[in-house]
Parts: sequence; structure tokens; C-alpha cells
Amino acid sequence: MNTNHRFFNSGSITAAVIAASLLTANLVGAQVPNPSPADGYTVPRTPDGQPDFEGFWTNATYTPLQRRDGVTGEFYTAEEVAAIEARALERESAQTVPGTTADVHYDFTQFGLDRSQVTLATGLRTSLIFDPPDGRIPPRTAEGQRILAQREEEARLRGGRWDSAENNQLDDRCIIMGGSGPPMMNTGYNSNYQIVQNRDYVMILVEMIHDARIIPLDGREQADPKVRQWMGTSRGHWEGETLVVETANFNGKNPIHGSTENKRVTERFTRIDDETMVYRFTIEDETMWAHPWSAELLMKQTIGPIFEHACHEGNYGLYNTLVGARLEEKLAAEEAAARKPN
Amino acid sequence: MQDRSGRWATATAVIAVGLLLGATIATAQTTDYRAPRTGDGHPDLNGIWQSINTANWDIEPHAAGPGMVRELGAIAAIPAGLGIVDGGSIPYRPEARAQRDENFARRLELDPEIKCYLPGVPRATYMPFPFQIIQSSQHIMIVHEYAGAVRTIYMENHTLPPAPTWMGWSNGNWDGESLVVDTRGFNGKTWFDRAGNFHSDALHVIERFTPRSADILLYEVTIEDTNVFTRPWTMSMPLYRRVEPNAEILEFRCVEFVEDLIYGHLRKQPITPER
Amino acid sequence: MQTRVIVAIVGVVLALAASLAAIPVWAHHAFAAEFDIDSPLTLEGKLAVWEMINPHSWFHIDVEGPDGEVVRWEVEGGSPNQLIRNGVTQYTVPIGTVLVVEGYASKDRTNKAVGSNFTLPDGSRLFLGGSVNARR
Repeated sequence: MNTNHRFFNSGSITAAVIAASLLTANLVGAQVPNPSPADGYTVPRTPDGQPDFEGFWTNATYTPLQRRDGVTGEFYTAEEVAAIEARALERESAQTVPGTTADVHYDFTQFGLDRSQVTLATGLRTSLIFDPPDGRIPPRTAEGQRILAQREEEARLRGGRWDSAENNQLDDRCIIMGGSGPPMMNTGYNSNYQIVQNRDYVMILVEMIHDARIIPLDGREQADPKVRQWMGTSRGHWEGETLVVETANFNGKNPIHGSTENKRVTERFTRIDDETMVYRFTIEDETMWAHPWSAELLMKQTIGPIFEHACHEGNYGLYNTLVGARLEEKLAAEEAAARKPN
Repeated sequence: MQDRSGRWATATAVIAVGLLLGATIATAQTTDYRAPRTGDGHPDLNGIWQSINTANWDIEPHAAGPGMVRELGAIAAIPAGLGIVDGGSIPYRPEARAQRDENFARRLELDPEIKCYLPGVPRATYMPFPFQIIQSSQHIMIVHEYAGAVRTIYMENHTLPPAPTWMGWSNGNWDGESLVVDTRGFNGKTWFDRAGNFHSDALHVIERFTPRSADILLYEVTIEDTNVFTRPWTMSMPLYRRVEPNAEILEFRCVEFVEDLIYGHLRKQPITPER
Repeated sequence: MQTRVIVAIVGVVLALAASLAAIPVWAHHAFAAEFDIDSPLTLEGKLAVWEMINPHSWFHIDVEGPDGEVVRWEVEGGSPNQLIRNGVTQYTVPIGTVLVVEGYASKDRTNKAVGSNFTLPDGSRLFLGGSVNARR
């Protein structure tokens, strides 16, 4: 099978590292520096004269969001990343053992969905988060901790995961997945995007679940805060070679990383060479965190097409699982009734 | 003197040639309008557009009528429509017309729109929601507010559909002032409207988008499906630009609005509706 | 300036091992709830249709029982999207292809299963080729 997996291109990684390394703590969206294109690289222009970001991109990576215990420093060496990736790829594509939970699943490698068979957007960072400098999500405010506890209590009261469709994760319900955000996070597979631009808008199609982010560039004001959306409402503008997108008006029903409806996200897209986009985001949510925090993912050019991800329409699994759960309860109740002495 | 079969053969050949050229069977409306050009030299169809008619209720001419949900009263009632089907009547095969009538009788159970399923083409175009055209050289995207439905129109490197989908697989060409979109690869699960008008997975749709003024597109559609219809047929309507300065496609992420409808009977403890 | 990190590779790998799932744990839990780990099965039948859909594709397979009766099974597989990028279409696996499916039966006790392995009668693994022995 033709694989398009590539190990990192050390030149582009170095450029990204150098561009990323000038940082101070607790940067708000306006302060995060824009990376520069690699030396000697001129970003192509669209027919309207804007930096050309069009094409198919992936942010698939093994870099964790937060720096792991025992890891210090902001970057690995290229050799360290190569070793880490090689082991991760081997583990991910290893065959599962019959009779284990992991085996009760289709084999990702048979469907080309494991990361050894796709383009990897490899970077040298030890964590996607670069601010705060410890590479971790900042501590929660007191209000944030209260909200978290309240959410956990509400979840407990809702009952078991299979008591109803609504008790499931948003992914299982086919409402929204992690690649959408914003911020747009890497997903385990199908971590792909298609960017199409015209003079006044940038459209980013997220593969799962066919979410099209349409970002106006005309400088219009943010939408009224009563118009709350799963992906918020976005406003974009160019700063030289960087597309800056500011998003607010989240509905709070998708608390990615624990965020609330007060979250605002600033994203910065810079194409640093033909194959590579540097994607940085800053999350500000004073209700949850005392400080903003920022992360960086790389995006790499990959192949299309993005096939229709009609998730809700094909969601037989959720239906079947609920049927099975109710059947199990019914059989268990019948069995218990049969055991009762007369 | 031409016999009957000769006349039909000639008519078929004319239709086939017409389709090859992207023309519609009905006389195509002409326009002298020349749209501004995009940076790569094509007619500029970018913008937010919406139809204004009752086609989503019933694409054939129809009278007003009662709705399916008593408690919604006039909100759910059917508004009248002059129809968008050229000639007024869809040329169903007899058995297909019976299927359509059964669809209508069971539409509360069967209309895919009710379950927030992707609406297919051309229904997405005339749903009561705006859509946005984002036009670039290799791809023209059509993003619908309803259910966030997305269509990718491939302007280069045309290929066949890899597999059936709800919104089909679209290949586009420029024909003078018109964008011509040829779509196949439907899964056969969508309807044309709320009245049960339907098609099979053999559906083939040819659309023409022609600017006729700064704020109006002429939208003409040819429908082919030999499983269901006795001949190709056409529909047409204007599409109007949403000219508000802050016009924006918003979310109509309707899955959460229909979960109780689809999965509610599988709850561990059913919700008892309050009366 | 690039910060050099001196970390034992083994240590890093061990740190990663605990939580580096290919797919988040929740996804496996969903499948473990839909299909019964205590009901492993092997099916052999002819492909009637491969529904190349999301979030997961479904193989409809006609399995002939010992009595000659043909039973239609539906077997859950992966999203087809990456295969499509690699050139796979609805015609790649022809109707009537004999498929051998190892997997687990659905908890709803209808003729449904998840396919943890799909092979062709010659032993090659669907979309991968090679020997079926490579699986274990």
C-alpha cells in the first residue's frame, strides 16, 4: 500500500524551533509572536495577493498537549524525537491480543488509520503547550474548581454512559469532535483539514465532522454575545504573513480542556515553507484559569480528498449499543426474578 | 414520413446532446449580465445566498394545507407554492409515483430532514437556510447553514465518486457566465422535499449557476434517474444574495435537537412528557 | 536558541507508554460496550455490500449456515476516509468477495459484529496483503 508517512524534515523543524523560541510567560493572544517563514522562502500568493494557505493539511502528531513528568526543557533533539516516534508508531501499529478490550475493535492498520500510514506533523517540542513555560495547563481558579466539581456532580446525576444517548461524549453523539475547536486539536486519525480562500474569507474544513469554519477578513465586529455557538464566531485579519483569527461566543457545551463559555481563542497561522504551517493558539478564560495559555501545533501538507464525514447519519453504533444495554438490563432483571424463591 | 420510433430517437438524441452541452430541456433563460471576475478570471459567485420559495415543502405546485403536528397549529401548516418543477409535474414511473404517495402519507416517519440528516442536492439549495459559496481555482465550496452540510465542487482533476454519499460527488466546469456542476454518487437516502418526492442512488444532477445581476443567481437543475423517472426533468429558481453587511452563516447543529426523537425510546428511564 | 534536553530515551518511552494510546481510551470503551468480549466469533461469507460510511464502515456479509440457510451479518469496520485517499473505492472489494472475519458479536444479539481482523481466503489481510499469521 502506498504510504505517505514521512519523518520530519529537519530543516523546517529547525526553522520552526528558532521562530518559536522567543517567549515570555503568560502571553495573551495579542502578545504571542508570529513565526516567520524560513529564510529564503516566499509564501506563494493567492490571485487576490494574500498568503496562500490552500490545500490539504494534517496536524497528526505524537507530541502531548502537556509536558510529561520527568521531562524538562522545551525541545527534544531530533534524534530523541525520532526514537520516541519510532517506538510510538510501533506500539500503535502492533496487533492486539485476542480476548483483550483493545481487540474488541476493528484494526486501525487495516483501514490505514494508524499514524504509521499517514503524514505526521512532527515537531521537536516536548509539549504542544509552550506558555506557561512549564508546558502545562495553568492551575484553575477557585471558581474554575467549583465549576469542575459542579460538572462532575451533574455527570454523576445523569447516570451511566449508556443510560441514554445524551449521556455520551460529544464524539459518540456525532455533535462535534476535537479537530474543530477552536482551538483545532489533533485527533487520533483523520486529523485533516482543507483550506480554501477567497478575497474576503478563509474557509477551513475540518474532516470530522465536516465542520466548515468560515472566517471573514473584512474587519467586521464580533457577533452579538447572545449568538452562542459550538465553534463560537470567528473574525480574522492578516498581520503580514500571519492569519490571525479571534473567536468568542462559545456556548460552553463543549468544555475542551475544561473551558467555559467565557473562553476566547486567538489563533495564528503562518506558512513557513511549502509543506509546513505553524499553528499557534492562545486560550483566555479568566473564569477557569488565572492566566492565558498557549500551544503550538505544526500542520503539514497532505493528500486529499476529504470524504464526507456524515457521522450522525451513519451512527448505527450508538443506536446498537443502547439497544444492547437495555437488552442486558432486561435479561438481568428476568434472571433475578427467576432466582427469587416463591 | 418519420414513424413514432424515429421521432423518439431524434428527441432522445437532442436531449442527450443538450445534456452534454449542459443545456436544460426547457428554454434556458438568457441574461446580458456580466459578473465581476475573481482574481483568477472567473465569474465571481462568492457570497451568501438563499432561495425564497416553498420548494422545500413541495417542489410541485401545491395548495396550502394542514400540518402534521396538531400542537404547532399554523407554524407546521404547509404554505402554498407555484412549484419549481418545469412543466409542473415530476415524470414519475407509475410504481415510483405510488412510492412517492406512500412517502407523503408516512412523511412524519420517513422525511430525512426531520432527523437532521444531510439534505442532499438540490434540496440543500432551497431549504429555508442561507448557504455560502467560497470560490477558489481548484475547489468551490458550498457551505449550508442547515446541519452544516458541505459540498466540495472539484474544478480540476475530475474523478468518479469513490463511494456513495448524502451530498454526492461534484465536478464543476465554467461555461461562459455559468458554473456547471455535475453531481453523482448519491446514496439514495435523501428526498427532494417534505412531500415525499424522492430518487434512487442512480440520481444524476446537473446544476447551472448563472449570475443575472449583482445580487441574483439563476439556478437551473436537470434531474436524471432512470430508476424513478420516465425522462430527465428540470427545475429552476432565482437565488438571492443576503445583502446585510454582517450576513453570516450561523450554526444549525441540529443533532442535539433530534436525539430524543431518535434515541429516546432507548433511554434507561424514559422521559415522561408533562401534559 | 535551541534548548538541549538530556533525557534518557528509555525513560521518555516509559513515560509515554502509560498514556500513549493510538486512539483515546473512550473510543475503545465504546466498542467494548457495543460488542461482547465474551462472544468471539469467526464468520466466512460473501460480501453483499461494503457501506463506506462514517463514523465507522459496515460490511454486509452473507454467511451460509450448515443447513444451507444464508444469514446476513453486518460487521463494523473503520472509517473509509484514509483508504479513499489511498485510492480505494466502492469497487475495490468486489461484491461476492469471500471474506473471513474474526471478531466479536454485538451485545444487542442481532447478527452484527465488529471485525478485529478481515482476511481473504488466500490468507492476505484486507487492504494490507501479507500473511494472516502476521496478525498474532
